[in-house]
Amino acid sequence: MSKSMICSCEDVTADDVRHAVSRGYCDVESVKRYTGFGTGICQGKSCLSAVAALLEQEKALKPAAVVPFTPRPPLFPTELRLLATAPVDESQPPVGGLPQDVDTFASALRPEGPLPAKAKVVIIGGGVMGLALAYNLAREGETDVVVLERGYLCAGASGRNGGGVRMQWGTPALVELAKRSIDLMKTFARDLGINVWLRQGGYLFLARTDAVAKRLERNVTLHNRYGVPTRLVTPDAARDIVPGLTMKGCVAASFNPEDGVIFPWPFLWGYAQGCKKKGIRVETYTDVTGFEVSGGQIRKVKTDRGDIACDTVVLASGAWSPEVAKLVDVQLPNEPHRHEILSTEPLKPFLGPLVSVLDSGLYFSQSMRGEIVGGMGDPKEPPGLNMGSTLRFVSRFARALMEQMPHVGHVKVLRQWAGCYDVTPDNNPILGRTPGLDNLLQMSGFVGHGFMMAPAVAERMAKWMVTGESDELFTRFNLRRFSEGALEREDMIIG
Amino acid sequence: MRRLPDASLRGRAITVDLEGESIPAIEGEPVACSLVAAGEPMLARSVKYHRPRGPYCFAAACSHCLMRVDGLPNVYTCRTPAREGMKLERQNAFPSAKVDVFETIDWFFPKGLDHHEMFAGVPIAEQVMAKVARQLAGLGILPKEAAPASPESRTLRTRVAVVGAGASGLAAARELTERGVPFLLFEREDHVGGRLAHGAPEQGAPAITDVATLAKDSLVTRATALGLYDDEAGRFLVVGVWEPTGVRLLKVYAERFLLTPGGHPPMVPFENNDLPGVYAGRAASLLLRRYDVAPEVAALVGWGEELYGLAKLLEERGVTLAAVVDLKGPPPPGAHPLAVAGTEPKAHGMRHVSAFSFTPRDGSRRKVSCDAVLVSVPVSPSFELARQGGAKVTFDAGHGLFKVEADADGRTEAADIFAAGDLTGGGSAKDAAVAGRRAAQALVGGLS
Repeated sequence: MSKSMICSCEDVTADDVRHAVSRGYCDVESVKRYTGFGTGICQGKSCLSAVAALLEQEKALKPAAVVPFTPRPPLFPTELRLLATAPVDESQPPVGGLPQDVDTFASALRPEGPLPAKAKVVIIGGGVMGLALAYNLAREGETDVVVLERGYLCAGASGRNGGGVRMQWGTPALVELAKRSIDLMKTFARDLGINVWLRQGGYLFLARTDAVAKRLERNVTLHNRYGVPTRLVTPDAARDIVPGLTMKGCVAASFNPEDGVIFPWPFLWGYAQGCKKKGIRVETYTDVTGFEVSGGQIRKVKTDRGDIACDTVVLASGAWSPEVAKLVDVQLPNEPHRHEILSTEPLKPFLGPLVSVLDSGLYFSQSMRGEIVGGMGDPKEPPGLNMGSTLRFVSRFARALMEQMPHVGHVKVLRQWAGCYDVTPDNNPILGRTPGLDNLLQMSGFVGHGFMMAPAVAERMAKWMVTGESDELFTRFNLRRFSEGALEREDMIIG
Repeated sequence: MRRLPDASLRGRAITVDLEGESIPAIEGEPVACSLVAAGEPMLARSVKYHRPRGPYCFAAACSHCLMRVDGLPNVYTCRTPAREGMKLERQNAFPSAKVDVFETIDWFFPKGLDHHEMFAGVPIAEQVMAKVARQLAGLGILPKEAAPASPESRTLRTRVAVVGAGASGLAAARELTERGVPFLLFEREDHVGGRLAHGAPEQGAPAITDVATLAKDSLVTRATALGLYDDEAGRFLVVGVWEPTGVRLLKVYAERFLLTPGGHPPMVPFENNDLPGVYAGRAASLLLRRYDVAPEVAALVGWGEELYGLAKLLEERGVTLAAVVDLKGPPPPGAHPLAVAGTEPKAHGMRHVSAFSFTPRDGSRRKVSCDAVLVSVPVSPSFELARQGGAKVTFDAGHGLFKVEADADGRTEAADIFAAGDLTGGGSAKDAAVAGRRAAQALVGGLS
């Protein structure tokens, strides 16, 4: 059948690009994500200029706004076993990371129309938290809402995570939230008209030490109490669940077959479209530059496109939250920490669950498209907003992965990237009113697992905001707890 | 495509195994080249619509030639030398690539398939689709055996790392040799020269530098740049070098990076531009000049000087031209006599190109028979390394390409990154050589 291919790796046609534009995705990064062009084996070598030219010809973009998507190493599909040979000094912290300037967006991308002069609620951050909250506010009847996003949808951690969703947490609050979130993910396509490809292949947690094994054991009791069917599995049983897994150095494992993986990007598009249908403005490429405060209240949010007078401000800027809070003299205890991640060539299904070694933070799963997607935190990573990629990460990851799955040594890495976890002292989020600045609501500090919590958190927060009914979530996780001292630490953090 | 009757013998005649069939090949040449010369141009089925695919770019810049080779999935056969008995399998097809039942997906969805909204929220259909999609997704199968370890990596330090031994890279290398500045020149092919060696010949192009005149041990061939990184010891290039025992990883620290990697042959969107038998112009000149493989009757489409250089080259070697279509407008003076301005190109054929059609200026539709459609447009600059290093990349709307912003001395916005040649927006091979030399002269100035 006659088709005009623009990205032949992923079978994306010129009409697919036009369709993305008709849906409002006009910049190169968004078109890449929406159509999938440039995400295949060649990573855009043969298609990027053709797509850019088409966007310019169709007047979707001004010439100055035609900027390439960020090229990601490696520039040629590269076997994990080759990357594993790069030298790493584990005793030293990682230094650098390239590219460094991806954080800035061309000013030509900024929308030309004016912002509304006022809104009841201004949400800062168009990640999954902010968009999910806006959508839920609309469902509760509040549509006088503006969402401000400094880049394109998916530019932050919501577009950079590995798509894991799990109920295996260490504290009741998170178990309950995650459980509700996964239920909402199951009905997402019905509610918002876009597929999110939830695949419940389970999460298999591996423990290297007795101490960590004890933690898994404790979790099983907790999970079962909340109706989550987590079970402890022996190393042999774990190898049955994941054929080819070595379990090298591992003493125990836990498995919940109802955990799984999703495709993160459609959540943002779905929520954003849902918002727009209900009259909520989602403003991308718009930077918050300051606030106007009087009488202990924020009166206006200032942006590079003008000011918005408002009643309530929600800070949902993820790893950027401390920076934004500083503009209004609020000190948040959150710290951004870079976490790197990679994706490989797509292969036919061979891996059911997401596997994670809890001791090292190694995690890997197989996406719906067949890629191995995985990462591993670096204990030496210094705090800071850094989204550069390092050779050190791919080398550490390749070694750790090949130790557990030697068969993947030949599998080729297509791209690596990084995002920032928004880390709090107790690994729990910051939610609710800001002491001393009553109409600034916090919705940050999710330590790398905000994506999977967002549907449930947003649902409760919208209800709490609109009805004014009390909800213990917003006292339990209030910013106040850090000065009052009683912290309950979440220890099921990976990546 | 066929091997020309006057082909010179460039290697030992061998056979390779294509799904149980013995196919003649020439040892050492890219196995994709041997396959198309032997009349086996369909190498794969595409990932989503299961469209037949054959090699397009011969530059590892697309994915049309990926095959399972000796049990390893997704191997670029355009870069894999033919070896006696090597096992080649076409991927993503059932029961076979020649008769693939999943080709029906292409027919059922003539206007494309919107995976975002298809069956979204439709009970049962949604779940069935997710299960089917997972089985159909993916390309290739995980290897059965654990991989042996790669050779140990090496860390090198040099003053200047040059990427790409085309016209500008070689001119720069000559300059650095003359000045006695230590450098390493990385070339991903097994030969140097870039388009001088395998592009359409250009008037006034410089001769390919004799590599024996370059500083000893400065040239590393079959070396693919994988990325530019930094760490506590500074910025470094990561290179994968093919060696007889496997690919070795090099970490190359340098004070200056001179980037002269040229460009990728881009896809030009037109109907059936992915049909086996559609080749990038640079692929056609490479096959002809290095391996004596050429179509019998070719239709040429594209724009720019290379299009006309290619027409001339093909005719000189006895290829019949069915059409030469300039998509940008009336052909320049002195262009090939067949050349006409045209729009809406289209390739025809079921499994392979059998014809080509286009709309000339008079608005009628013209169709010609051919066995290959050759798409020659200016290459798309390989700006990736430069961009990683912080150089500015801008869109040239006139040419529809991204290019690296550099001054006449190759300086970019990143102090240690210099760029020359196609990377900065094209020009002749002669211009590229001049730019390469100037960049080499300029970057030497700031060295410690």
